[in-house]
Amino acid sequence: MAEPTHEPQAKADEAQAEADETQAKPNEAQAEADEPRVGVYVCYCGGNISDVVDVEAVAAEAAKLPGVVTAKTNMFMCSDPGQQVIADDIAELGVNRVVVASCAPSLHQTTFQGVLERSGLNPYLYENANIREQVSWTHHDRAEATKKASALVSAAVAKASRLEPLEPVEIPAAPAVAVVGGGVAGLRAATDLAKAGLAVTLIEKELTLGGTVARLDNLFPYSEPAEDVLCRLCEEALADPRITVHTGTVVESVEGYVGAFTLHLEQQARGRTVEATPDADSREITSLDWRCEAFRGYGPGEAFADEPVAADDAARALSVPVGAIVAATGFDLYVPPEGEYGYGRLPQVITLLDFIEWLSKQPEGSVPTFNGQPVRAVGFIHCVGSRQVEGVHEPGPNGRINEHCSRVCCTATLHCACDLRDKFPDVVAYEFYQDIRAYGRGHEEHYDRASLANVIFLQYDGAQPPKVVAGEGDDHPVLVSCLDGLTWGEEVEVGVDLLVLAVGMVAADVGNLATSLKLPVSADGFLQEVHPKLRPVEQAVNGVLLAGTCQAPKDVTESCASASAAAAKAYGLLASGEVKLDPYVAHVDPELCEGHAACVEECPVDRAIAMEDYPDGSRKAMVNPAICTGCGACVAVCPTQAIDLSGWTLEAYEAMVDALLLSHSEVSAL
Amino acid sequence: MNAVHYDTLIIGGGIAGLQAALDLADQGREVLIVERQPSIGGAMIGLSKVFPTLDCSSCITTPKMAAAAHHHRITIFSYSEVEDLTPHEGGYTGTVRRKARFVDEAACIGCRQCEYACPCEVPDEFEGGLGARRAAYVPFGNAIPQVALIDMASCTLCGRCAQVCPKDCIVYDQQDELVPVDVAHVIVATGWQLTSAASKAEYGGAAIANVLSPLTMERLLAPHGPYGHVVRPADGKEPASIAWVQCAGSRDKSLGVPYCSRVCCMYAIKQAMLTSGSLPFADLTIYYMDIRAFGKGYEEFYRSAKAMGIEFVKAKVGRLEEAADRSVDVHIENINDRGQSEVRNHDMVVLSLGMAAVPDTRELLPLAIGDDGFIDVPHPKDAPCRTSLPHVCVAGTASAPMDIVDAIAEASAAAMEVCREGDRG
Amino acid sequence: MHPAPEQTEPPILVLATSSCAYIAADAVGQAHLEHPANTYVMRVPAPVVFPDSFYYDCFEKGFAGIIVMSCGHECPYPGAFERLTKRIDRVKMGLKERGLDPARLRLTAVCTVCTKAYLKEINAMDALVRAAASAAAVTADGGDAT
Repeated sequence: MAEPTHEPQAKADEAQAEADETQAKPNEAQAEADEPRVGVYVCYCGGNISDVVDVEAVAAEAAKLPGVVTAKTNMFMCSDPGQQVIADDIAELGVNRVVVASCAPSLHQTTFQGVLERSGLNPYLYENANIREQVSWTHHDRAEATKKASALVSAAVAKASRLEPLEPVEIPAAPAVAVVGGGVAGLRAATDLAKAGLAVTLIEKELTLGGTVARLDNLFPYSEPAEDVLCRLCEEALADPRITVHTGTVVESVEGYVGAFTLHLEQQARGRTVEATPDADSREITSLDWRCEAFRGYGPGEAFADEPVAADDAARALSVPVGAIVAATGFDLYVPPEGEYGYGRLPQVITLLDFIEWLSKQPEGSVPTFNGQPVRAVGFIHCVGSRQVEGVHEPGPNGRINEHCSRVCCTATLHCACDLRDKFPDVVAYEFYQDIRAYGRGHEEHYDRASLANVIFLQYDGAQPPKVVAGEGDDHPVLVSCLDGLTWGEEVEVGVDLLVLAVGMVAADVGNLATSLKLPVSADGFLQEVHPKLRPVEQAVNGVLLAGTCQAPKDVTESCASASAAAAKAYGLLASGEVKLDPYVAHVDPELCEGHAACVEECPVDRAIAMEDYPDGSRKAMVNPAICTGCGACVAVCPTQAIDLSGWTLEAYEAMVDALLLSHSEVSAL
Repeated sequence: MNAVHYDTLIIGGGIAGLQAALDLADQGREVLIVERQPSIGGAMIGLSKVFPTLDCSSCITTPKMAAAAHHHRITIFSYSEVEDLTPHEGGYTGTVRRKARFVDEAACIGCRQCEYACPCEVPDEFEGGLGARRAAYVPFGNAIPQVALIDMASCTLCGRCAQVCPKDCIVYDQQDELVPVDVAHVIVATGWQLTSAASKAEYGGAAIANVLSPLTMERLLAPHGPYGHVVRPADGKEPASIAWVQCAGSRDKSLGVPYCSRVCCMYAIKQAMLTSGSLPFADLTIYYMDIRAFGKGYEEFYRSAKAMGIEFVKAKVGRLEEAADRSVDVHIENINDRGQSEVRNHDMVVLSLGMAAVPDTRELLPLAIGDDGFIDVPHPKDAPCRTSLPHVCVAGTASAPMDIVDAIAEASAAAMEVCREGDRG
Repeated sequence: MHPAPEQTEPPILVLATSSCAYIAADAVGQAHLEHPANTYVMRVPAPVVFPDSFYYDCFEKGFAGIIVMSCGHECPYPGAFERLTKRIDRVKMGLKERGLDPARLRLTAVCTVCTKAYLKEINAMDALVRAAASAAAVTADGGDAT
């Protein structure tokens, strides 16, 4: 499949033509908007609102407001019958503006807009009054809460009366996706999207694919070799003609918007590129060419690591136009500061990943050794760098401690301890833990297996982590002690020859991708999803999806599920060939515009507003709705108030202020 | 009747089924959801609030339910079951049994006049047996479809509902309808069921009135629950102390449930936090083995619960006994206190029962099933939703115990598996 | 310009951004954290949309305090926050010239999870405007109008 053509100018021109049409519409619709007939609907929210706010009284007050033709209440406005009340009023009472006083707009704005749409009314003629989260849930005096709810409703009515029909901005969508990150999540998302018919560019900063999984031996819970999982994913990705792979490549910057992003990439000299091809047969790569040993990652880079850089090999910059971006940038492992549990001071203190590599290299049938010394006892400490406690643990480089649980380490550690006991039954294993979080399918079985394998468990309290000291002249080089909850808080000390720290997952620095796009970040440092329950793979920046551990710690199964989910969302955005954006952009009334161009000067976004020549010789401002971000900076400086923000007009805000103050100062009849 | 054709059949109208349906329908595919209960929404619609955000569960489920119900590419057969599925090269043919509601679904406006007129009362399953419903009833306030049905087993055929129905849509002799369908893809999203309380004799075998299932507790905590308040079922007393017994249906070989059900630690903490809001003076205790607060924001949620004064006691509960005043004696081995055996008394106890598989699909499709009863997939690490059968995917708790956020991610992943297959039905 | 002395519940206007502060306001509600009811939140994509005159008008019409809860440096609209800060600085000077305490206009950044910050701002402004209202009432009672 050929690279999709992308001409920013053509697109902007197209969008401009649409803009002209959109600008004409408000005028056309002005006649329609002349007589606002507002329906007000006040929700009980099953008691959530009505327990505090006198919902009937609020409706009664609303009925008296200018422009209101009906004011009703309902137990659940969002329910099917609740929605039907609105639909019926639109059909039968000629309601042409709708106010719903209910929970926060984040929950049901689209629900109610949907009702308007299905009833043949423009969905932008809807306004919310938030009387749950911002009234009944936060004020407990009935009289005060009811009065405030009434005031908010009157403000919403004032705004609703001034709303005009709006049409979404439609942007032609490039049928292409950039997947940033070539670990399991990135590979999974890339192959899903390619199979669905989109062009995919897979970008990996290391020279090899595979991410952290490439460093693992076998994966819990079924002990499937990591190599098998990676081979499946990599072979599929490398064989798919629609996928272009760039290794040794980072994102320098990102421009554009959903449907029309451009990623500027920088590929280092040793990075390799596998280009998309018209069909699978013309693909040069075969799995044998690129296959590597376990632990070495998977990709072209490793095969060439020892070769000198060829004369014609150079770093290069490339640009990729895409419609959506899947961030699959993975995680970092916590690096304990020097001294934490002896890390960095005692050579026998290593991380779980180091241990996995060490164990795989120990020959079977003989006594395992570390740095030439026999290993007779191994200790594992859970929750290193996770579940940290203020005052007990040192803040990280970002000044914060890691309160979060890293999810996978308990099962991973159990799995490792079991593998150790299986391979070397004479080696004692100790696990120092807080809670055993073997939560997933097949995980608890490893806890069972560990118990049967005589792994010795010691339980510590998070505020009093185990202490590690060197074994001076002792039998063992490292001594670990803790107040063991399983022996009623007694101090227990064990000697080990190897101490393994189950280090947690921390947010990786997503680099220029995050800074270019201003991707929001959660309190725990990971990339923030739009809604933690309902929308786990979507991001506030439209067109950017989150796959895998960049959003939160996950195991391989969860990473792949989230990657496929992210791919499904990206595909959904682009499948129809057009991305529809909210019409909340600035618009100019040419009749009021006197050509001062204060807006152009104030506007922070390149090319969002420009002065256009009119046939009568005047110059007036014109907004490009595909580029305008809708901040409204222009609105504040126009001397003739000729420019305003669609859906959020200054005029409406002024009316809301008046309504709020009028309501507030009224002697309460409620 | 000719087979009705859809691109994808989704078995189950809970949150996973609804999410998969929406993703597929938004991509232009025709979807059929077959839901066994008279309303879609699954388990989620009956919960009070969800962890860790404490969003009202209804509030976040109803938009998905409404969006699915209103999407022009989604058809919902509620109160229906898939009878059989036969594979062919391009997918499956099958039969859907649309069970008789004894009400004309198309005509019913959900006015509830039949319900108000019906003289027969039975315990309300939706409310966990607390509160009553009529034999003729609309399942619950925000049910979709908002349509009545008659529970014939409890109906006395008195005829009152037919007399009062304004749209004349009571049909006493309505028969089940068998609808042939032909689909290109199937997504199994059949959900889960609670592990059995009756099987654990040590915990009273479901016979102690003030020992509740967690779903019943959800109804007590829900804003529009049976009593609007947390009271104990035996006598309506406002409990001064409530305990949660963790792993009451999981990590228990004696019950045949050796696995962890994943969500119980979190839902118990959530219930305790909600209870402390509605009963600020009650003593709240959670008896646990390990607190599995593993997800994003979960550990932080756990810490808030501790800060709110909820007591966490590391102790395996050995036995529950009903005391004379109908309170519950909880026999524990307290790990926090030298492993001492203790008996603690609480007004009410909630058993943190686990998630068990729903056995139905085994008869429909030759899917691989694990020892734990959940559906197995050939590549659980890199393709968790792709089953061993072509054209068949699995989503949500049908594949393993999981919480809402993971079920939603899997649902979209299953939708993506359908898209990967390329061919449109 | 004086706030009406008979306002025992001096009203406070909160301009809260849809991306950040408005969500924090919802989060405050979700956590059921109580705060004074004389606060009115208007949801706004970016407060940079309001010209200088808007603020003067609000005080003139009767608002005792205005809190502009922006996204601060998390602002999703490039360039909007710098323009906002310049305007607020200018308006504060203007308020002073008009005889009003510039502290009645407060610019702050509140993120989606900043429930503590949200409450702190509300409570601080509420205390300020109530103190000013009772001082004005005392003066009014005392005879000499300020």
